Amino acid sequence: MLARQHEHKAPQKRALQWLGKQLFNREDPAAFFDPLLEQLNPMWVQEYTPARVERILQETADTRTLVLKPARHWSGFEAGQHVNICTEIDGVRHQRTFSLSSSPALWHAQGRITLTIKRLPGGRVTNWIHDELETGAVIGLGEAFGDFQLPAQATPLLFLAGGSGITPILSMLETLTAAGASAPAALLYCVRTEKDVIAREKLEAMAARHPNLTLTVIATNATDSPRYLTEADLASVPGLQDREIYMCGPGGLMDLALASLDALGVDAQRVHKTFFAAPGAASLDGTDLGGTVRFAKSELEVSSEGDANLLDMAEAAGLSPSYGCRMGICHQCSCKKTSGTVINRLTGKASGPGEENVQLCISVPQGPVTIEV
Amino acid sequence: MKTMNEQRLAELENDLNAIRDEVLADLGERDARYIRRIVRLHRGLEIGGRVLMPFGFIPPVFIAATAALGLSKIIENMEIGHNVMHGQYDWMNDPSLHSQTYEWDTVCTSASWRRTHNYEHHTYTNVIGKDRDYGYAVLRLSDDVKWHPGHLFQFINYLMLSVLFQWGVGLHELESERLRRREITWKSKLPFLKEFFAKGGRQAFKDYVFFPLITFPVAPIVLAGNIGANLIRNLWSSTVIFCGHFTQDAETFTEQECENESKGHWYLRQLSGSSNFTGGKWVHLLSGHLSYQIEHHVFPDLPAHRYPEISGKVQAVCRKHGIHYNTGSFAHQYGTVLKRILAFSLPDRLRVRLPVQGLNQAT
Ligand code: FES
Repeated sequence: MLARQHEHKAPQKRALQWLGKQLFNREDPAAFFDPLLEQLNPMWVQEYTPARVERILQETADTRTLVLKPARHWSGFEAGQHVNICTEIDGVRHQRTFSLSSSPALWHAQGRITLTIKRLPGGRVTNWIHDELETGAVIGLGEAFGDFQLPAQATPLLFLAGGSGITPILSMLETLTAAGASAPAALLYCVRTEKDVIAREKLEAMAARHPNLTLTVIATNATDSPRYLTEADLASVPGLQDREIYMCGPGGLMDLALASLDALGVDAQRVHKTFFAAPGAASLDGTDLGGTVRFAKSELEVSSEGDANLLDMAEAAGLSPSYGCRMGICHQCSCKKTSGTVINRLTGKASGPGEENVQLCISVPQGPVTIEV
Repeated sequence: MKTMNEQRLAELENDLNAIRDEVLADLGERDARYIRRIVRLHRGLEIGGRVLMPFGFIPPVFIAATAALGLSKIIENMEIGHNVMHGQYDWMNDPSLHSQTYEWDTVCTSASWRRTHNYEHHTYTNVIGKDRDYGYAVLRLSDDVKWHPGHLFQFINYLMLSVLFQWGVGLHELESERLRRREITWKSKLPFLKEFFAKGGRQAFKDYVFFPLITFPVAPIVLAGNIGANLIRNLWSSTVIFCGHFTQDAETFTEQECENESKGHWYLRQLSGSSNFTGGKWVHLLSGHLSYQIEHHVFPDLPAHRYPEISGKVQAVCRKHGIHYNTGSFAHQYGTVLKRILAFSLPDRLRVRLPVQGLNQAT
């Protein structure tokens, strides 16, 4: 399910893997016993990190925070990173990626982490989390990943959050305030209405305790005429040019903010962003996209026109490669491409023509492609 | 094979698709719970067998340990491995039960199995010359193959194939008959051979070296028990598999018959080329539900434990279209397999004079 990343391959570990391969035909010998261990205590599962839901807090009408206690061998995280979680709904495993909303300090002190999750319209997993998940349940956790991280040295900062995009920023702010950071930090938080502010008390308490943290909430839909983020909002942040800027929120807000920052002459190098919603199909103009894809292992061939991704194409051809997020985050769908060029939907960049690993869910063929599926 | 016009075939296709769609729409929790329970049963039996085996100097314990390990291998190969590799549980999105990553406890590598079995055998079921599972290129089972004196000894070949079944299956992709005929070169088979020796080596190391060695003073007992467990599995799985397509009424097809065939025609071929056997719940579980070979061949990627549920509907479709639904008791079906192996070891002139019912005519 969830690959453990950053695995340190100590010699004993390698020996164990070798033996596991000999005895159980699998790389992770411990997971051979999982079906039995899971019956005894779901927290003993080895294949992924089990995490017990200790508490569930209702943040707003459609946002909950899960307080999780992962099994102790989980490797921890840096503020701003995400994790994949895995749940089983009606026999089907689903993986989704969420940002951690607590600070690493909480993990170190208490072995707890939090995820703050908003219900998405039609979302299979988020709705299940809101409607079915109960305290005491155990869910699967992957290792943390992502390079949306605070600078090593104290620097003036600006955080720009939209809606549930506040979650990685919450973790960052808690980390900063806990460390008593001296450099000024500002948060511009866009929400639909005041009721949608997530973790308001926590944010206000932090701002009250730390004079160099300023907090501005912009309610976009408070009145009949929407009030979007403006250049003036950004220009009002003192010393904007010298701040490192961290943004997370829906695509529209990010685009608007990026354009304004550009107009204000902010160096693009200072802007760090992490995306939150599935990448829209808009980013690619479909003129020369599509091609014939050969799935080498199964000897199948499918053609597409336009921006159909490899994962959809493989599934349409009756294959079932593994996948998780379907939006380019979790790498569960990574496969070896042996020839041809694909466009990465997130970056808009073309791959090389040779052999490399590609994520099926965000790769769009450009001409003939061969994939080992 | 029964002849049906394209319109009838299309109707057959629709009837079967309807059964399939109904099951697909209903897949969920129940199927996940079922396969997980079977996986736990396998783990329990394997661990039990391995732990008990060193105490095999007590005869009843030896029998229990060997049986447990043999059963564990049977369940793992038939109900878990074979079915998982058909993609029956891919929808669960669980990598430990995924067709592309599962590696089973037998000499044949999963990759090789997916090529020779899932692809060749299931696409070209019983098409002589294309389905190499028909007689495993070792046995003559229909008069589509010309008799030669070597066939007189094929019953011995059959026994050897059964005893060493996992090695036979493992080497199936070598296509030794084509190598002999020099249609392909050894060089082209090197990558396959490398895979085969790696997997075969691992399997042999585990059962015949590692587990005996770590229980050193009783190594011979553990070795004997492990050999026994593998033998039980080999004999049982080869028997089940032979009952699937080599019974008296299981038909064979020519390549011309299947050129450009429609899906309906493919369905018809699966229905007429496969055979079931009846039995209790345990028989079905231990055969990986290949006792429902007909259902399996029509719907290879539906979870096998669903076959008993849909068997009635498949039979009704067969009745409607006047297709023979080939089933019978295990003993009866296996009896006709043995007869077929023996009968076709004889030259045609002799065979047709034998009172072996049903096998006298070309099947
Ligand atoms: S499915 Fe998550 S990266 Fe493709």
